[in-house]
Amino acid sequence: MKHLRILLGAALLFAFLLAEPGRISAGDKYQEMINCDLHAGPCTQAFSENSVTLEVAPRPVKAMQDLLFKVTLAQKLSQTPIAPYIDLGMPGMNMGPNRVQLKPAGNAIYEGRGVIVRCPSGRRTWQAMVIMPGVGQVSFIFDVIY
Amino acid sequence: MLSTETLYLLYLSTGLTVGFGHCIGMCGPIVVTFSLNLKGKNIIFPQFLYHLGRITTYAILGGVVAATGSLTMVAANIESLQKGVMIFAGALIMLMGFAMAGWVSLGSVFRNPVGSGGIISRGFGKLLKVKSTGIYFPLGLLLGLLPCGPVYTALLGAARSGMEANTLHQGVLGGMGLMVAFGLGTVPALFLVAKLADLGWLKSREFIYKFGAVLMIAVGVFFIVKAIRY
Repeated sequence: MKHLRILLGAALLFAFLLAEPGRISAGDKYQEMINCDLHAGPCTQAFSENSVTLEVAPRPVKAMQDLLFKVTLAQKLSQTPIAPYIDLGMPGMNMGPNRVQLKPAGNAIYEGRGVIVRCPSGRRTWQAMVIMPGVGQVSFIFDVIY
Repeated sequence: MLSTETLYLLYLSTGLTVGFGHCIGMCGPIVVTFSLNLKGKNIIFPQFLYHLGRITTYAILGGVVAATGSLTMVAANIESLQKGVMIFAGALIMLMGFAMAGWVSLGSVFRNPVGSGGIISRGFGKLLKVKSTGIYFPLGLLLGLLPCGPVYTALLGAARSGMEANTLHQGVLGGMGLMVAFGLGTVPALFLVAKLADLGWLKSREFIYKFGAVLMIAVGVFFIVKAIRY
């Protein structure tokens, strides 16, 4: 009888966890930080009276897939000699260093290839920090598809 | 470009920070389960074997992604296997929980007259015997395949090092080396968690084992749900 109760408890927990995806991860608060929908197209963030645009292809943006990252800087920002780069990470969770090196690909445009890895926790909110050495950085927070 | 020594140090320190910040949450339950299952016996050698197995798997994965130059291709090919490993880990933790609390008799669980399931049930039976310490190495080999974001990130670096190497041989060794450095970095955090769960010093062990058993069953269910959703 005791064994049955334990098995029933485990089965109930199993059913609960399966049916309530929102309760498994603590990602709700990071959803509120999202400032970009890369699935719809490029995102632009203001930076000190200028702007930085991030585009990722192919769309929709999926994890564990080779992605092309394209950053477009406003003309004033693009005059710095060092190319920007992107640090990929997950807000609130240390996933290790994942840097996308960017190379010039046209007028104030920089491109590079990278991968957004998948987190088994189920959280899908990621952050791309575009860093312009000696100038500053801009953060893009978005959801990816697993 | 960073020197090889700097890269190894970087991956070692990454493993260290990720270990305390991430691994405790995902792999912590596994090492705690093993500790509790040993019931006060020396955990050092089993833990050493487990981590040796786990790091060996990381090294192999590092060599493979370095040789192919692609994490995504390798990951796509092992995704089903990883799902299976996650389910296995969940089932193992649950069984250990049931067995540790004495709620389920191992004899009744693993008495399997059907030939096709014999290897699996004999394997599980061996896993749950405290005496067979050597089993922790193959367990580590298998559980090193558990899907893990920081491991994927480290493998990205291994793939990159493979692409930048002058020869394939150099690339493979470099990729393996980076993953070994990363894996070594994760050990202190997990060993600390395992040691804290080592209840040799605790007087009222029976209650703690029962409580731990309930937690293990819950964690096992959680792992299986995660695997289904992955």
